[in-house]
Amino acid sequence: MIVGQAKTTTAPARRAETELALQGLWHVVVLNDPVNLMSYVVMIFKKIFGFDEPTARRHMLEVHEQGRSVVWTGLREKAEAYVYSLQEWHLTAVLEPDEKN
Amino acid sequence: MKKIEVKLSLPVVAPLLDVIKSTVDDLRGSLAAASAGRDIDDDLREVWVDALLASQAGDCRTLLGLFDRDFFSTGVIAFDETNAEPIVRACAAVRLRLREKYLKCLEDESLESGNIELETLAEPERKAFMCYLFLATIQELIIQHLDSSIIES
Repeated sequence: MIVGQAKTTTAPARRAETELALQGLWHVVVLNDPVNLMSYVVMIFKKIFGFDEPTARRHMLEVHEQGRSVVWTGLREKAEAYVYSLQEWHLTAVLEPDEKN
Repeated sequence: MKKIEVKLSLPVVAPLLDVIKSTVDDLRGSLAAASAGRDIDDDLREVWVDALLASQAGDCRTLLGLFDRDFFSTGVIAFDETNAEPIVRACAAVRLRLREKYLKCLEDESLESGNIELETLAEPERKAFMCYLFLATIQELIIQHLDSSIIES
């Protein structure tokens, strides 16, 4: 009985913590890889994010020279959708919480 | 519909197809970019990875479909708005796996610059590197001529 009670009180608390963590802003970060072509990465950025050529090139060069670029920031659900699309194109993309928010 | 046709040298390309085919086989059941889905919640990860695997498999089928009976009689492959996107993606997947399976011995910088002396490579690595370059050429051709149809699709 006691164990059962403990379960009913802690589970919602944990869920609330998870929900809080998923709220706020998330970064979509693309990491460098030595395989994918620069022109390929530029094309993907234009297609997925609707970037113009200079913006897409700037992010591509940031990935290439600094190893990573934050390509989008926003709510978790949309950030996940972007990461999925980038991974479908075989780019290394990860989600990172925006610590400032 | 915009279409590009490329005539390839059969004696040069045919020996590479075995490597491409075996690499596609190797990609069955595993993603080219192994890190995909890693930071996704547990309950979503399986669906996520399965969807990526299905997409990857479909793309690879389209790539292999280029090299059909017609190709072996004419040496011609054709790209258009319907196959450009899956092919350019499949080329990326196969190149990533070639790198992982055969070309680990090469430095990132050498691989990025393409500055590699073929004579220094053993036969399997040399063939893999030729495939790696061949697939990059296909990607470049498609991006050069059909990128607007991919971006707008």
